[in-house]
Amino acid sequence: MRYAEGLKMYSANFSDKEIILPQIYNYLGFRGVGRSEETDMLIDNALRELETLSQFNYIYKYFTALPEFLKKEPYLSYLNGAKGVIVCATTLGAGVDRAVNRYMRTDMSKGVVLDASASAYLELCSDKYEKTLGEDLSYRFCPGYGGSGVEDLPELFKLIDPGKIGISLNKSNFMLPSKSMAGIIAVGKGKKEEKSCKGCFMANSCEYLKEGKRCYTLCSKTGSEKI
Amino acid sequence: MLYAMLENRLGKDLIIFDGGFGSELEKRGLTGIPEDLNITAAEEIKNIHRSYSCADIITANTFGLNPVKYHGAYSLRELAKAAVNNARAAGKPVFFDVGPTGAMMKPIGELSFDDAYEAFKEVATVSRDLCDGYILETFSDIYEIKAAILAFKENTSLPIFATVTFDSTGRTLTGSTPEIAANTLSGLGVDALGINCSLGPKELIPIAERILKCTSVPVIVQPNRGLPVLEDGKTVYKLTEDEFIESAEKLIEMGVSVIGGCCGTNPEIIRRLSGYSGQKVREHEYCPATAVNSANCVCIIDGVKICGERLNPTGKKALKEALISEDMEYLIDEALKQQDAGADLLDVNCGLPQIDEKALMPKIILSLQEYCDLPLQIDSSDSEAIAAAARIYNGIPLINSVNGDPEVMERIFPIAKKYGAVVLGLAMDKNGVPKTAEGRLEIAERIISTAGKFGIAKEKIMIDTLVVTASAEQELVKETVRALEAVRKLGVKTALGVSNVSFGLPNRPLLNRTFLAMAMERGLNMPILNPLDSEMSGTARAYELLAGIDKNAENYIEIYKDYVPSASRTVKAVKEEKTAESLYDCVRLGLKTRAPEMTERELESLKPMEIVNKILIKALDDVGKLYGEGKLFLPQLISSAEAAKAAFAVITERLPKDAEPKGRVVLATVKGDVHDIGKNIVKVVIESYGWQVTDLGKDVPVEKVVEAVKELNPFAVGLSALMTTTVPSMEETVKALRDEGLSAKIFVGGAVLNEETAEKIGADYYTKDALEMAKKLDEVYGTESAS
Repeated sequence: MRYAEGLKMYSANFSDKEIILPQIYNYLGFRGVGRSEETDMLIDNALRELETLSQFNYIYKYFTALPEFLKKEPYLSYLNGAKGVIVCATTLGAGVDRAVNRYMRTDMSKGVVLDASASAYLELCSDKYEKTLGEDLSYRFCPGYGGSGVEDLPELFKLIDPGKIGISLNKSNFMLPSKSMAGIIAVGKGKKEEKSCKGCFMANSCEYLKEGKRCYTLCSKTGSEKI
Repeated sequence: MLYAMLENRLGKDLIIFDGGFGSELEKRGLTGIPEDLNITAAEEIKNIHRSYSCADIITANTFGLNPVKYHGAYSLRELAKAAVNNARAAGKPVFFDVGPTGAMMKPIGELSFDDAYEAFKEVATVSRDLCDGYILETFSDIYEIKAAILAFKENTSLPIFATVTFDSTGRTLTGSTPEIAANTLSGLGVDALGINCSLGPKELIPIAERILKCTSVPVIVQPNRGLPVLEDGKTVYKLTEDEFIESAEKLIEMGVSVIGGCCGTNPEIIRRLSGYSGQKVREHEYCPATAVNSANCVCIIDGVKICGERLNPTGKKALKEALISEDMEYLIDEALKQQDAGADLLDVNCGLPQIDEKALMPKIILSLQEYCDLPLQIDSSDSEAIAAAARIYNGIPLINSVNGDPEVMERIFPIAKKYGAVVLGLAMDKNGVPKTAEGRLEIAERIISTAGKFGIAKEKIMIDTLVVTASAEQELVKETVRALEAVRKLGVKTALGVSNVSFGLPNRPLLNRTFLAMAMERGLNMPILNPLDSEMSGTARAYELLAGIDKNAENYIEIYKDYVPSASRTVKAVKEEKTAESLYDCVRLGLKTRAPEMTERELESLKPMEIVNKILIKALDDVGKLYGEGKLFLPQLISSAEAAKAAFAVITERLPKDAEPKGRVVLATVKGDVHDIGKNIVKVVIESYGWQVTDLGKDVPVEKVVEAVKELNPFAVGLSALMTTTVPSMEETVKALRDEGLSAKIFVGGAVLNEETAEKIGADYYTKDALEMAKKLDEVYGTESAS
């Protein structure tokens, strides 16, 4: 009913494809040797499909007083020096899950590519949308990485009610639809920071890290940067 | 008392609802669970309600009050009493506010239709003696709101207003359009339906326009005060009161019957809106249509719409077997094939003597609607099966069928009315099919008028004028098409099971499509046929072009733009033929459609096991090597696996009966984990290596895994978990398997697993991906066999 905060729909421009391609290849198990024309074509189709299939929605709330669940590490380190924090959640909607499930039956290659493309697409849409929220914003930090746990999601959900944009949380703290993210953004730190792999909860099993890669690509850059 | 007020005013005079509550709470600095505030800050809550007393109807502060969402300190009943009591302070009729549960419905989420129903039933039970009506709002899933509407209709007699939320794409968050929402909610018989939240009044105008066009039910709109913006760390609604009122006036002019406000609207806005209270509701354009819909697809029966007949077991041996063994995979594949072939809706029939239709039909509906977007036609002579299926169906179904027999109509029409279904009426009765068109017309008239007595409008009725077999009753074929024309004049749409006409004659396809053309020209709207027969569906598409229904031939050109007049018609097939010259190539290039044929060719010169050892394993190894080197990617690996799997299927048939198969693997994504893409990839890859796989699916309870392993005695069990939070569930599963002393090797995998965790939770093997698991399985199997 009466709690929508900053709800907005955004469609990533298709010309952004080159930005997210490396990311999609990462998700598909790409290990840094050349691109394949065949996969490029599958990704191309998946991105086209996502343009109509996805319903990007973003909900957030700005806090100057630190919410209770953030009063611990690693959040405190991440928020160090911040004037406030945006708590946010975003999703591509249930239609993408439906399509992926369907393709997993009828054409598994398509399903896998759509799934990977959707993950990258959601990050792209979110990164772009977050740029409209203000100047001095840090990168999005989601419970689950950097030594934090998805166990914090229920508290986060209480603060911003992502149900408003159709995201629900199950008992194992999975977000549904699966192409959803929830996290925080430090505001007013006065310095630009980037995501890092140090202390990520996947750090000791991460296939990317073992090979000196990482699982995410920042919107502003492409290729493999230092970790 | 209120109902009388509604009856006199609803849809005639404009009714004003109150405005935003959350923003008013915030203004007063009230935080915490909003529903608890009904007790902990009763006076403040009363004051908010009082500030809205200019409205005609007040909404209680109960949005999140349902057993799935609310886990606070009070009982639902205590809060319901307090909330309604607070709302009464405004001195106006009080509607109980009902929001969604917050849990996502199956199949994407975990909340079943029945559980959602039970949750809302509890809300109905704790509130029905307190309030004057219900406002169901901010629902983004028409399946959930259907469960809610049924719960309130079946457990109270109070009026129900139901509103849905759309985002700026004009869809609900689960992908339903305004037309789908309007058709579903009208069908379910709510007192008013409409839109609330997420957008401002201006943005809701085009959505309201679409809803008004497809319903005669009074429409309610409760917009937000535009989109909020962040200013100095505070959420601000920038839309001015004047701007809100200006757009609201437009909505009123368009024919909206009830208007109020959602997020960000305040008492001042509602005070100004209340100036319009009692104004005459404007008439609006409404086009009654015969429409059925799923959650994501609406089919308006007009022009020619193809109803796929392949899920009807009559004369289909494989389907019969699938129905008896409840092989839903087979049914889903059949449904998707028909959808891809261009069907507009699908017939579903499971009428076999050994089948309990009442139990099976709802199961089939649930399985099909998980994957297939098309609306469904529930086809049964068992009224209990129809009722169970219509209840669980996500949308507005077509019911097949009633006939002129009053007893049948009395059984079926109440079900159709309750669930808003369209009903197909057969132009026959106890005495059989009348010989003449006039006789069938008379029955059609009887069906339509009886439906009217049950409150079912004419557009909810379709008539099947019944096809006779040309070989037996040649003279009567023309009566069927004459009857079509006559029935169409009654203002209803028509249907025919076309292919019955050719029974017992040679070259049936020719007769079928000729008869189809005859019938369409005389007014047939819904041929029930096999959409995979491209000549039949092509005849329908060609007719639509020639009859001027397919404007500018757009649909026809879209379908036939790549048409090649030869047996191997699709571009893809031609391309594959060029590139794949051997089975090795087929697997290496991942051409699964060509693989069976190539396997047959290899079988002419090689023994089955030679093909496996010399070709398939080599091809898979090469593919695996390229994948490992990063020269080939997951999609190609999967295609290759699928091609090898198709080849294996052919080879298995040729293997001597006593040949020892490699063995079975049971796969499951553990309890609590709903991501199964990784597990699905594992399935196809290890199948391509010749393993038989039993896939238990996702979110699989511990007991189910144990049960399956006991029953099937597989060589190995593969468990998958994606998140740290479901590793304990994997551990429990491993432990349960060990406790039972089962000998199957336990493989684990998934994003959060590694060697160390695998060892810690007691698994035998950790493999990092599908390919590694296939290799490890072969290795362990080799060692075991050798010893």
